[in-house]
Amino acid sequence: MLTPAELVGLIEAVAKGDQAAFERLYAATRAKLYGVVLRILRRQDLAEEVIQETYVKIWNGAGRFDPALSSPITWMASIARNRAIDIVRKKSETSIEEEPQAMEVAADSPDPLARREMTEELKRLLECIGRLEPDRQRLVLLAYYNGWSREQLAEKFAAPVNTVKTWLRRSMLDIRECLGL
Amino acid sequence: MAYSEDHIALAAEYALGTLDADERAQVETMMAVDEAFAAIVQAWSFRLGGLNQMVGSLEPRPIVWENIRSEIARTARAQQPPALAEASPPPPPPAPELPASEPAEPATEAAPIPAGSQAEAASPDMPRPEPDALPDVAPQFIPQVHAPDLAVVRAPEAAVVDDGNVIRLEGRVKRWRSIASVAGALAAALLVTLSLQIFLPDALPNGLRPAPRIQTVEVKVPAAPLAAPAQYVALLQGQAGGPAFILTVDGATRNFTVRKVGATPEPGKSFELWLISDKLPRPRSLGVIGSGDFTARPLLASYDAEVVNDATYAVTVEQAGGSPDGRPTSAPVFSGKLIETVPPSQPQAPAKK
Repeated sequence: MLTPAELVGLIEAVAKGDQAAFERLYAATRAKLYGVVLRILRRQDLAEEVIQETYVKIWNGAGRFDPALSSPITWMASIARNRAIDIVRKKSETSIEEEPQAMEVAADSPDPLARREMTEELKRLLECIGRLEPDRQRLVLLAYYNGWSREQLAEKFAAPVNTVKTWLRRSMLDIRECLGL
Repeated sequence: MAYSEDHIALAAEYALGTLDADERAQVETMMAVDEAFAAIVQAWSFRLGGLNQMVGSLEPRPIVWENIRSEIARTARAQQPPALAEASPPPPPPAPELPASEPAEPATEAAPIPAGSQAEAASPDMPRPEPDALPDVAPQFIPQVHAPDLAVVRAPEAAVVDDGNVIRLEGRVKRWRSIASVAGALAAALLVTLSLQIFLPDALPNGLRPAPRIQTVEVKVPAAPLAAPAQYVALLQGQAGGPAFILTVDGATRNFTVRKVGATPEPGKSFELWLISDKLPRPRSLGVIGSGDFTARPLLASYDAEVVNDATYAVTVEQAGGSPDGRPTSAPVFSGKLIETVPPSQPQAPAKK
């Protein structure tokens, strides 16, 4: 099992062009990243393409990773997730009509995680999300896990898009305040 | 803090993922030109990133690794003299996308890291040295895709028992359980779709890929916007996403600056910048982009504000020194449109607190 320090070490080696380190990094992280992007894209081909692009970016950009700012896996996942969101935003509207029920599945099945396995940061974030009204909690989590647009969320919550927009904005600012930022 | 709530909400929503394509492009532009803003966006990304701990791991096919390797080998060859291609890696390029060095809130960012990273690496999918192995990742994967097997679907319950007081997630999990059978049917359907996709390879990978990423970001200022001393920015992007050039136009003088962030022309070639407008009969050259990091020119002063605002800015690869006859000789490799570097104010229904 690789510790975070080992992952940091691998990324540093990758920044110097160490291909063996890159392979180990891939082996240690690919399944998490793929899980994250497949939830959002829900198509194997697109998800695999995003994973490819992500690791090429990681190879080229490993020198930019700063362990003071983020854990290695979070840094890598944010590259992958951003790309996935870009793709779903570009094809946007289609998915909600295509697979209205697949959305339900995706909506409610992030893996439960025993509390002791959560990082302190995550616990704190969840506490703050938990202080939102129940509907807002769902709104934020659905947005994050499934990569839904405001339009999709509006449909799900049977609310006007502008209302959802306001909710999202307010929720994020509330979370920020709760986190003491 | 120097940033308004609008900026902060925009950054947070970018990280959350709820912005539309135009807004995302706008945030990316702002990140490219404003490191402090980029740091805020990243702080949000990393903060929310903890949520990924709860997402199940899933193995991509081995072909993905093959593709990554060949892509890296390809770019290494393209960037270096052949003799060196095997020996050394591509140099770390400049950092338009993840300028990771400016913590917006150093104290809050730095402190929780050690604990955070500890537990994260403890997640069960980490220690996988063999690209093809998948055994003990499977339990997390199964509830999402192979769900017809209800015994397996229920397996995660045990793990949830003790976290009731964290937030309402437990409730979510119960609901999730209750729809497990529905989930099973749907997941099976999804699995079929995925299998079909495996056997139709060529129809898919590039099917939804946006064609050369021409951003259709509208300039949101009406009459004579360039009269105001605003800054306008265009990110010139290629297929793979990520900016290659950042074009900045000073609203007062209409001087423009091209900043090179992610592209180098092949030896013997030059990048040439073009202004493409439906108000002009053909693309107008704005000159060859110099080999330095910045190229500044006053040329835009001779064009109408409207033309400057609505034009597409495109970069082509030309022979060294630029196109011989003032017309582009190839299709643009990077392009983009101007946007104003101020976020749109978020329309607010008189917010109920």
